[in-house]
Amino acid sequence: MKSILNMEPKTAMRSFWSRAGKARRWRAFAPLGVLIVLCILIAIANPNFIEPRNLIRVANSAAVPLTLAMGMTFIILLGSIDLSVEGAMSVAAMVLVLLATNDSNANNYGWLAVVAAIAASTVMGLASGFLQTTLRIPSFMATLGVWFIGLGFSVYMLGGSAVRLMDENIRALALSRFLGFPLAVWIALAAFAVAIVIQYHTRIGRHIMAIGGGEDVAELSGINLRRVRIIAFGLAGFFFGVAGVLAAAQLGQSNAVIADGRLFAAVTAVVVGGTALTGGEGGVLNTLVGVLIVTVLANGMILLGISPYIQQTVQGLMIIAAVALSLDRFNLKIVK
Amino acid sequence: MKNSFDFRSMISNSWVQGAIPPALLAVLIIIVEIGSPGFLTGETLALLLSNTAVLFILATGVTFVILIGGIDLSIQAVASLASVILAQLLPSMGLLAFPVAIAAGLVFGILSGVVHVWLRVPSFVATLATGGVVAGMALWLANGRAITIEEGGRASTSWINATIVGTPVVVLIAIGVGLASYLGLRYSRFGRQSLAVGAGEPAAYAAGINVDRTKIVAFALSGTLAAIAGVVLAARLSSGSPSLANQLLLPAIAAVIVGGTAITGGLGGVGRTAVGALIISIVRIGMTFVGVNIFAENVVFGAVLIAAVAITIDRSKIAIIK
Repeated sequence: MKSILNMEPKTAMRSFWSRAGKARRWRAFAPLGVLIVLCILIAIANPNFIEPRNLIRVANSAAVPLTLAMGMTFIILLGSIDLSVEGAMSVAAMVLVLLATNDSNANNYGWLAVVAAIAASTVMGLASGFLQTTLRIPSFMATLGVWFIGLGFSVYMLGGSAVRLMDENIRALALSRFLGFPLAVWIALAAFAVAIVIQYHTRIGRHIMAIGGGEDVAELSGINLRRVRIIAFGLAGFFFGVAGVLAAAQLGQSNAVIADGRLFAAVTAVVVGGTALTGGEGGVLNTLVGVLIVTVLANGMILLGISPYIQQTVQGLMIIAAVALSLDRFNLKIVK
Repeated sequence: MKNSFDFRSMISNSWVQGAIPPALLAVLIIIVEIGSPGFLTGETLALLLSNTAVLFILATGVTFVILIGGIDLSIQAVASLASVILAQLLPSMGLLAFPVAIAAGLVFGILSGVVHVWLRVPSFVATLATGGVVAGMALWLANGRAITIEEGGRASTSWINATIVGTPVVVLIAIGVGLASYLGLRYSRFGRQSLAVGAGEPAAYAAGINVDRTKIVAFALSGTLAAIAGVVLAARLSSGSPSLANQLLLPAIAAVIVGGTAITGGLGGVGRTAVGALIISIVRIGMTFVGVNIFAENVVFGAVLIAAVAITIDRSKIAIIK
């Protein structure tokens, strides 16, 4: 007690901060710990879990959510939210299927269809960024509107039915394998690598973190908020587009419900990984862990024969546990 | 010379700001009436209001949570669960099934509040998670199927589908819920305190308001009203299902925001939500009347939603738009 009082104020401050820093660093690994414990528990309960065939299955079902969640991570780091995931994905899938060889029209543009699909979704992302910064409305509402517009547009173009994708090369994304894993998994990993580079090695990545950490400070330090925001939403649209292409290739068709439930899955993965919804904390590495937690949990519940009806319940409890463990909330005065 | 300045000061004038959503509502009604004369006759009006009722009750519940600066993403799951409980208990319990289903909503609302406040999980995540928990329970209770309310049970729900002096009972229920919420928010201590919490949590805390309790009460109200909405919906459709209200979550939140309540909290109220809910359902129903292609309806809806928010949102009170 006395020694603390006698310490120079600066030293006391420093030791306080280093201790807080250490606790924070340990907390950052909580999601990884959850993932490892989860894997061990499932493997003990059912050794089939660690068979290569099952691990490949886990990787395959993580591919689309991982790609989606990469895009979502940047938006959440900004402190915003993007609800247009399902709209953007379904537009990408629709454009892909209608431009590549299909059973509804005579188009046959091959890989150009893939480019067009990703471009369409990127444009949607840029549009939601542009709309919310120009009209000054919350991202929640702007992207909600864009979600309906995208979904409506793809349903309209598909005429309310399912169109089959018959281009062998694009189908191969899901069907052919490299080193045992389907190509879709490798593409998802490539998306992950791109996201890592963007977050840690580019100016836009730094700016996104800065805006999420404190918008007014970021603005005062000369960051062009509007441009960063629009680019970030465009980036998210790009990742959603890639995910839409992968989903269409996996499903072999595009229909109105191809993206159903993807929004909440993506947000769940980002949040479970330890990225704070308030922005500025976390990142794509966290999201990788979050996606794996959610996918491994879903796979494990099937292996353990848990009734599909209560799987959602277990997942909900899991979210609460993971977030309660990983967020450094007790230093926060306000939790909204 | 000072045109733009005058325009701005006019817009930021508070009563003008408050009048924008009702004006938008009036404009929309006129557009639909011009596109399809006869829209405002008694029958379509009753249909419009009954269709709005469920959305409005849900939106009123979530208004309480948005006012304190949070969000409730579990309302559609709670409403669905209430519909399942009602459909399952009606044959054996009769009218008593109603309070049981609504009590379930209260319990899960309190649960969301407790997870949010005690575990200090942000409300977006907390209610996303409790929504999953509740949805799973509804699926489990209903065995994954929709449960039809059979003849025996319909005797107990027929009063909801009746009309009193030409007014559907559903509409009367919505009006009752709306009035009670309006008065509660305006004249009770809880109402005042929740506005204070939404406007500035540290200040509310410093003023001696029990912030945690206010938040839990807001979530409890949201859960209860969601269950009431679910019960009404089940009675109208004569069926309870674990996915009954799934399409209503985002329209309900949209109704609150379009009505002019700030998503950051502290500003707005039930009256605005009523206008917002009417705007949302007029756009939805009006499109059928005006003859928009059904496959393109969502496109128009999304565009109108963005436009409506852009017109109605009160930017003067929000420092940072995220």
